Amino acid sequence: MVVLAASVVSKSGKVLVSRQFVDMSRIRIEGLLAAFPKLVGTGKQHTYVETENVRYVYQPIEALYLLLVTNKQSNILEDLDTLRTLSKLVPEYSMSLDEEGICKTAFELIFAFDEVIALGHKENVTVAQVKQYCEMESHEEKLHKLVMQSKINETKDVMKRKASEIDKSKIEKNRGDKGGFMSLQSMGSGRIDSSFNDLSISSTGSGFGSGSNFGLSTEVDSFSTKSKGRAPSAATAPPKGLGMQLGKSQRTNQFLESLKAEGEVILEDVQPKAGQSRSAAPPPTDPVTLTVEEKLNVTLKRDGGVGNFDVQGTLSLQILNQEDAHIQVQIETGGNPSILFKTHPNMNKELFSNENILGLKDPNRPFPTGQTGDASGVGLLKWRMQSTDEAMVPLTINCWPSVSGSETYVSIEYEASAMFDLRNVVVSVPLPALREAPGVRQIDGEWRYDSRNSILEWSILLIDNSNRSGSMEFVVPAADSSIFFPISVRFSATNTFSDLKVVNILPLRGGTPPKFSQRTQLVTENYQVV
Amino acid sequence: MERTEKSCTLLVHFDKGTPALANEIKEALEGNDIEVKIEALKKAIMLLLNNETIPQLFITIIRYVLPSEDHTIQKLLLLYLEIIEKTDSKGKVLPEMILICQNLRNNLQHPNEFIRGVTLRFLCRLNETEIVEPLLPSILTNLEHRHPFVRRNAVLAVMSVYRLPQGEQLLDNAPEIVEKFLSTEQDPSSKRNAFLMLFTCAQDRAVNYLFTHIDRINDWGEQLQMVVLELIRKVCRANKGEKGKYIKIIISLLNAPSTAVVYECAGTLVSLSSAPTAIRAAANTYCQLLLSQSDNNVKLIVLDRLNELRALHREIMIEMVMDVLRALSSPNPDIRRKTLDIVLDLITPRNVDEVVLTLKKEVVKTQGSEHEKNGEYRQMLVQAIHTCAIKFPEVASTVVHLLMDFLGDTNVASAIDVVVFVREIIETNPKLRVSIITRLLDTFYQIRASRVCSCALWIIGEYCLSLSEVESGIATIKQCLGDLPFFTATEEGEGQESSKTSNPVTVSSTTVSSRRPVVLADGTYATQSAALETAMSPPTFVQGSLASIGNLRSLILSGDFFLGAVVACTLTKLVLRLEEVQPSKVEVNKATTQALLIMVSMLQLGQSSAIPHPIDNDSHDRIVLCIRLLCNTGDEVRKIWLQSCRESFVKMLADKQLRETEEKKAEAQISNAQPDDLIDFYHLKSRKGMSQLELEDEVQDDLKRATGEFTKDGDDAFKLNRVLQLTGFSDPVYAEAYVTVHHYDIVLDVTVINRTKETLQNLCLELATMGDLKLVERPQNYTLAPESSKQIKANIKVSSTETGVIFGNIVYEASSNVLDRTVIVLNDIHIDIMDYISPASCADVAFRTMWAEFEWENKVAVNTIIQDEKEFLNHIMKSTNMKCLTPTSALEGDCGFLAANLYAKSIFGEDALVNLSVEKQADGKLSGYIRIRSKTQGIALSLGDKITLKQKGGA
Repeated sequence: MVVLAASVVSKSGKVLVSRQFVDMSRIRIEGLLAAFPKLVGTGKQHTYVETENVRYVYQPIEALYLLLVTNKQSNILEDLDTLRTLSKLVPEYSMSLDEEGICKTAFELIFAFDEVIALGHKENVTVAQVKQYCEMESHEEKLHKLVMQSKINETKDVMKRKASEIDKSKIEKNRGDKGGFMSLQSMGSGRIDSSFNDLSISSTGSGFGSGSNFGLSTEVDSFSTKSKGRAPSAATAPPKGLGMQLGKSQRTNQFLESLKAEGEVILEDVQPKAGQSRSAAPPPTDPVTLTVEEKLNVTLKRDGGVGNFDVQGTLSLQILNQEDAHIQVQIETGGNPSILFKTHPNMNKELFSNENILGLKDPNRPFPTGQTGDASGVGLLKWRMQSTDEAMVPLTINCWPSVSGSETYVSIEYEASAMFDLRNVVVSVPLPALREAPGVRQIDGEWRYDSRNSILEWSILLIDNSNRSGSMEFVVPAADSSIFFPISVRFSATNTFSDLKVVNILPLRGGTPPKFSQRTQLVTENYQVV
Repeated sequence: MERTEKSCTLLVHFDKGTPALANEIKEALEGNDIEVKIEALKKAIMLLLNNETIPQLFITIIRYVLPSEDHTIQKLLLLYLEIIEKTDSKGKVLPEMILICQNLRNNLQHPNEFIRGVTLRFLCRLNETEIVEPLLPSILTNLEHRHPFVRRNAVLAVMSVYRLPQGEQLLDNAPEIVEKFLSTEQDPSSKRNAFLMLFTCAQDRAVNYLFTHIDRINDWGEQLQMVVLELIRKVCRANKGEKGKYIKIIISLLNAPSTAVVYECAGTLVSLSSAPTAIRAAANTYCQLLLSQSDNNVKLIVLDRLNELRALHREIMIEMVMDVLRALSSPNPDIRRKTLDIVLDLITPRNVDEVVLTLKKEVVKTQGSEHEKNGEYRQMLVQAIHTCAIKFPEVASTVVHLLMDFLGDTNVASAIDVVVFVREIIETNPKLRVSIITRLLDTFYQIRASRVCSCALWIIGEYCLSLSEVESGIATIKQCLGDLPFFTATEEGEGQESSKTSNPVTVSSTTVSSRRPVVLADGTYATQSAALETAMSPPTFVQGSLASIGNLRSLILSGDFFLGAVVACTLTKLVLRLEEVQPSKVEVNKATTQALLIMVSMLQLGQSSAIPHPIDNDSHDRIVLCIRLLCNTGDEVRKIWLQSCRESFVKMLADKQLRETEEKKAEAQISNAQPDDLIDFYHLKSRKGMSQLELEDEVQDDLKRATGEFTKDGDDAFKLNRVLQLTGFSDPVYAEAYVTVHHYDIVLDVTVINRTKETLQNLCLELATMGDLKLVERPQNYTLAPESSKQIKANIKVSSTETGVIFGNIVYEASSNVLDRTVIVLNDIHIDIMDYISPASCADVAFRTMWAEFEWENKVAVNTIIQDEKEFLNHIMKSTNMKCLTPTSALEGDCGFLAANLYAKSIFGEDALVNLSVEKQADGKLSGYIRIRSKTQGIALSLGDKITLKQKGGA
């Protein structure tokens, strides 16, 4: 019951690839494979050859033979099955089924063969599984990398915060001192430049890195803007009166300043607004910003079914400068018939219903501009969607508490619909008052126990196609099953039910349309399993 | 024999045309581009596989490749580590290997489950305890990993570690751990691997687990069930008394849904028990598989198993005959042949009727659809029925008439089989004679093939006994010949004219096909006459004047005068017999004259120019003889014609039967050991590290044989004949080689002795080969102390039977003068073709088709001092290791001529054919030719050389 080797040889007898699964000497395997093409007769209707010691089970593939060398007692039925699996795998990995093609992908084939046969014994795997194994896409590794990244970011943040604190205190300390700074700067800048190069690079680096990350990115952002926001103020400070003494913390700012003076573009300083708020959305930088936001209010019943499903969406507009305020907005909706749109009373309803263009009734009036109190700007359009269709629910939670002796085992599983990739998913399960954290037996993702509120938080950073479903199991002392409800869920997503998109901005006064940015997000407002 | 060769885990074709430079690889490995790195690593592995050790590359890889995050690189790295030499020449682990340990441990704790898995798999192939030891804790933690992929490989890693020489000390609690693991594991594959581990490492635990979970065995995965069966086999072999406990498990597994398990079950049953019920169950299972599996491979192998059962448990298999016979429904001729072979051996008086009935039905089925394979199948069936009828003459009556329908078959081979069958039956079954003759005379006109015709004519001539039979026999022949004469003068003119037009066609076709010499059935070497071959093609030009041309007429008109001679003989016999049974002399004379007329017109036809070839001398003489006989009969001649023929036929049949029974006897004897044979104690054989159990296990043996670990030890007495002296006694280095020829490889064991008083440095045995030989390794350098000796092993791969020559020299530096290299040229080593050739046998027909097909012929003129033909044949057989296909009865007697066919097969599956034709000259010397034919030039040439060398004989 042992496969000695799996090989691909050409019809002329050249050994292209061979993987052995038991110990055998090179001369032996080469001999066996060299003898094979001579033993294969033509015109036979069976595909095995037996010699004194071994059996070859083979399959011709175009100009090649795929072949298993087995011992003679080997189970032919199983070997044929193995051979069939391998024969399906070879074309998967090798584009052209000739010598060249096989040679090119020899190592990939060896990896695939390894998945099908373990120490000569057949593994029960399908072609899809082998492909998955060979791709080695691991969800856990991704998570691990994210966690590592966030840890790095966190430490960086701490470092920055500390740095800025020291910075601040130094500035405070030095504020009283007077002195000519400009002369000092002019004579020392060159030297300072070179000596602090690395410092500046590390700080800018983290600024970029954080932008591409989600999850912790908002926090990082706010910190980075905080420190950077200080930069101009610090830079303006010296002329007011900075002493000859050059504090260590000032060097950074000075350095930035001097860089700027030399015409270097310092990217993070482009952000004009020192947004100190810890709002979810970073402050807008484009002249026109359009925000599509949908809020979800969902109540799911614990034994299946939808209690309430309500989506409320808004499209809001924010314009930074007065010059850009005479515009109209062309949008495109996903065509979901169950969504009803309502425009702002000042909007030209006809224009919207006919051409999907949002413009003011009075074309001469500009849109309100500037930083309004509301972070998201002026609302242009609202919509609503209600449904009882369970298929629309982006994330269903299934919670099974079961009492066993003095313990309650709770297994929770989620099932996410393929419509959305959900981010920062947090499932909060109320627990009975506990003395210590519950024992989590198994989890896809991470967990945290909030002892003050008796809540177990199960967080999954990202739910995408790799983990459309997942589960967690934990144990608590015996408790009534109703105590684990209502479970509330938080998450966000970057696409929406309405699929509303801003296609274009039409300037009413001619000229080029101003640049605009668009933000789309779906957030949960109240998402519960009761 | 202890194995010193390293095991080889992978082979990749490496094109030497594009050599990759070590520098380029190094540069690429140091770079940052992942794709380039992967390519370079692949190249490095291929170079390593090709024996290009690049030691400096290892450090580069440690520095630049080890830290890579890329998965493909990591996997390739594992392959690289797998094949790299990890120990020094003394078997100690190289110190730099410690560098990879850390990396392996990181991999085992990697968040990516697949990295963990492949690393664990790599550990399974690792033999160095020193490397494995620090990784043990990581391996064990992986047993609890969430992902089954990791667990399944972790268990295998544990098993491999435990099986290492010091494994039991390293992981003394491994069986406990795995047992615990097994009890909680859900993944079928991990479960299987865990059970496998217990099975190989702690058998009693495995048995224990099996019995605690015995009720759920049917729900287990297919793979696990297979291992269970393997376990049962092993346990029962060790402890026969416990069989009873397991039989039940096997019986319950016989109903498993997986056919592989069912097949395995049957095999296990057979190996465990010889109780009729068990064997019956196994045979039943095989029969079911035979019917349910559509794959030809499966059917053939199941038939092999059934055949084994047939040999061991004949009584039970006899009951199964009808089930086995159902496999005939498969269209594959190999399967059908195998099935028939099994069935024919199982025929008893009780089941013969049933079997023959089925065979008859099959024959009738072949009539329906004209499929090209049908002819072959019909022939097979006819032969099978023939065998049945010989064994149990009573069934002959039921089949012979059916078979006679096929005398006119377009498939000549099957028609010949039928007629031969009829010939034999009519002799052995006198009761059937009358009905067969009547039937034969009725259907004679349907026969198309000349060979069938001549055989049928012989039957008519021999077995028409009564007056009416003889008369209708003569009438039938006359009718089939049509009106006489065969051609008229005018026809001759026309014929000549038409012959002019069509002659080129016929001639060209015959010259193409027939000018090749063939080997006749009696082993004589002949140039085939064109007439025999064209006989089968429809007559092209001379058409009979009547609409109903008889079959004999058309055959004879096409130039088949051999048939003409047969007709003449048959008529002569019939007339002679008529004289005995016909009271009226007038009638006899009338018949005689008619016969004479026919013969004369045949002669006339033969000499006319209307026929492309004139009549050959043999046939002419024969017909003339018949004419003379009819004109002048005598008692003596009559006796020869009417009795001796029959007698010699009876003798031939008896001889054939005798030969068959003798063959069978010989076969039966081979399987039994002689009372004074040596008994082989496996345990006493020189094999290390194997428990007694393993040695007794035939499955294990099978595996060992397959991996080449198990080689038949040759006769020690001949071993020393193989020692070759390579250098002279006065050379500073003396070398001799002991040549061992294994299946596909040659091992040279070279002993090198330093005969000087100096230390020889960088001594290297350089070998080069010619022919289909290939050196496996590159030579290594040695340092040889004064007057010390060294054993050097060299492996050489053989890929065909062509004679190979190994050249070589020994190169060394004397310690006093480093730059001065000395070269000693070695004697050539010739590899003997005889090591690869083994006697084999094949059917006469197959031999002759091969003879016609094969392209290479080597003709060697006989030149020998041996005076006796048979002695010469024996000498050739012995020196070429070939088998004589010509039956000994045909070689008997002393006539000064000898012709024989010899056959052998090489282990590469090549056929070697030899025909020997010698004649004793007047001066007592033998003369003649030996012809060798083979598909490849190599065999023909080297066998020819061998014969030229050896044929002298005497010495």
